[in-house]
Amino acid sequence: MAVRIKAPKDFWAGLMFIGFGAFFMIWALTHYQMGTAVRMGPAYFPTMLGGLMLFLGVLVLIESFAMEGPPLTLPFNIVHLVIAVLIYFALGWIFKQVGISGDYAILAGTAALVVLSVLYLPATKPLVLISAACVIYGYLMKPLGLVLSTLLLIFVAAYAGHEFKWKEVVILYVILIVFSILVFVKGLTLPFPICPAFMETCPIR
Amino acid sequence: MEILNNLILGFSVAVSPMHLLYALIGVMLGTLIGVLPGVGPVATIAMLLPITFNLSPIAALIMLAGIYYGAQYGGSTTAILVNLPGESASVVTCLDGYQMARQGRAGPALATAAVGSFFAGCVATLIIAIAAPPLAEVALKFGPAEYFSLMVLGLVAATVLAHGSLTKAIAMVVLGLLLGIIGTDVNSGVLRFTFDVPELSDGIGFVVVAMGMFGTAEIIANLEQGEKREVFTSKVGRLMPTREDIKRAWPAVLRGTALGSFLGILPGGGALLSSFGAYTVEKKLSKHPEQFGKGAIEGVAGPEAANNAGAQTSFIPMLTLGIPGNAVMALMIGALMIQGIAPGPQVMNEKPELFWGLIASMWVGNAFLVILNLPLIGMWIKLLTVPYRYLYPAILVFMSIGVFSLSNNPFDVLIMAIFGVLGYICVKLECEPAPMILGFILGPLMEENLRRAMLLSRGDPMTFITKPISAGFIIASVILLVIVALPALRKKREEAFVEQKT
Repeated sequence: MAVRIKAPKDFWAGLMFIGFGAFFMIWALTHYQMGTAVRMGPAYFPTMLGGLMLFLGVLVLIESFAMEGPPLTLPFNIVHLVIAVLIYFALGWIFKQVGISGDYAILAGTAALVVLSVLYLPATKPLVLISAACVIYGYLMKPLGLVLSTLLLIFVAAYAGHEFKWKEVVILYVILIVFSILVFVKGLTLPFPICPAFMETCPIR
Repeated sequence: MEILNNLILGFSVAVSPMHLLYALIGVMLGTLIGVLPGVGPVATIAMLLPITFNLSPIAALIMLAGIYYGAQYGGSTTAILVNLPGESASVVTCLDGYQMARQGRAGPALATAAVGSFFAGCVATLIIAIAAPPLAEVALKFGPAEYFSLMVLGLVAATVLAHGSLTKAIAMVVLGLLLGIIGTDVNSGVLRFTFDVPELSDGIGFVVVAMGMFGTAEIIANLEQGEKREVFTSKVGRLMPTREDIKRAWPAVLRGTALGSFLGILPGGGALLSSFGAYTVEKKLSKHPEQFGKGAIEGVAGPEAANNAGAQTSFIPMLTLGIPGNAVMALMIGALMIQGIAPGPQVMNEKPELFWGLIASMWVGNAFLVILNLPLIGMWIKLLTVPYRYLYPAILVFMSIGVFSLSNNPFDVLIMAIFGVLGYICVKLECEPAPMILGFILGPLMEENLRRAMLLSRGDPMTFITKPISAGFIIASVILLVIVALPALRKKREEAFVEQKT
């Protein structure tokens, strides 16, 4: 009898849980002290939970071969996911060797993913571009200031949508940046730099 | 008379001009964002949480509570007018509310929802005022074993209410618990799962997790689906229900309030279960069950009253035990902790003005909703016609600013993005994020209480069963799990959720 995955969603969910469970359990066991039931060490609770999760993951995995389920519709596959993670690790390693801050490795990796997504896997645009927009915004806030990082956030995010009209996006940006400065920086006095760090004097005060 | 005195204290806090203003702002902002489709109360509260950081604890809580009811209310408005539930609890309202709107009776549907919710809110506020003090008294006697078992019950209840597979829901809770213990172990000072990242030594902020799982993940999912919104009614028509409507609606409101108040108190309960339960009850009791799904006013009145009552009474376990019954309450607890208040039974005695002020402000918030929102309905409808492509970049800006401002560290924004991706994958794999958030917030508490209980019992796990209160919670958890795992009921539960979705 041929074994067939009947419920792909459960299959991958099961694998995900097994992965998380095994990781937490093994990491806890190898890095922290177990202790005893009376005096629990730092490894005790995570090991128990990791084991429970591993068990539940196996259950879900078995179920995926037994019960029919709806098809899984993801715009990417496991290979793409692994490549994405590898890009970050590779860049992180290279930047560390050269001696550049890890923050820039994250930015460079994110930029690479955006390019790859737009060029080769446009179906992943919402996922990649929306996430990337937030990351870019966060990491460029200190060097570039609110005005420029918001610009990038909005343009990257807007490009993830179905329609991209320059005029609309520019108007949206102007409204949002004025609102952000007035409400968050002036009103709520959040300590955000408005202008880029390299500018000596900021015209907006 | 003690209750009366307490309520007077509460109202004296709640009606101070500043607090009134915060309640008003909260309700307005909540409605504003709740009206936007695909942004539920959890995402709304998570998004707006940072703006409360600079407020006093009581003002922050009043505003957050206002945001919560506002978001609930906004959710039912979209459900009725656009057939899109703004949040999961108003899924049921779509069934008959939208049909009423199509028949040109959007006005009465909205009015019934508003007035029904208000009535339910008033009753639920009273119930909280009466039920909370004795419960807190009992809770003060709880030891670590009781707390641990209670948390087990809460988490089990949360999984039972999740859609789809029970196994996956439990696994999501465990995932939440595991992610929750990332950071410094309080007992030994050991850094756990921080991978030499200094930012992780304080653990992952729950606001960041909630915004990722419920905020960015939802935007991604919405963008993938594409825009498919149509405002069916640009005109609401007259608001007043007919005499016949009132006659049919008020018993439904009463029943909904009773059911919702009860279900809201249960751990894992709250608005979703209440509205769904009320709809089923109304359909069963009605003389015209065939009208349900075709614009029966009871189908709007009952669930709307129930979901508001449930939303309100779900504050009871949060306020008295410090245990969140649902994801929204988990966020409230997080907000309290950020304000430096450890939620639990001691809050009522140590900070009576906070406790009773919040309760009184619930009533105030509900009153604001009715007074403000019926006249403002036209404005909300206009907002609905704003295309999503303008809205989501704005939401994204606010979320990113909020997360960044938590500690002025881009790392938080990165974590939000990562949880956004995880949340997206979870939705695709039909693993619900809500149980995970509950587990996440309870993780450290659970471990702490487990360790203490085991230390007290000298390592004997029977302590959870030999103590009567603890045993009660454990037995209740087991019964719940068995009931749901039974094949017959399981099928029925699936049918129920399918019915709810269509």
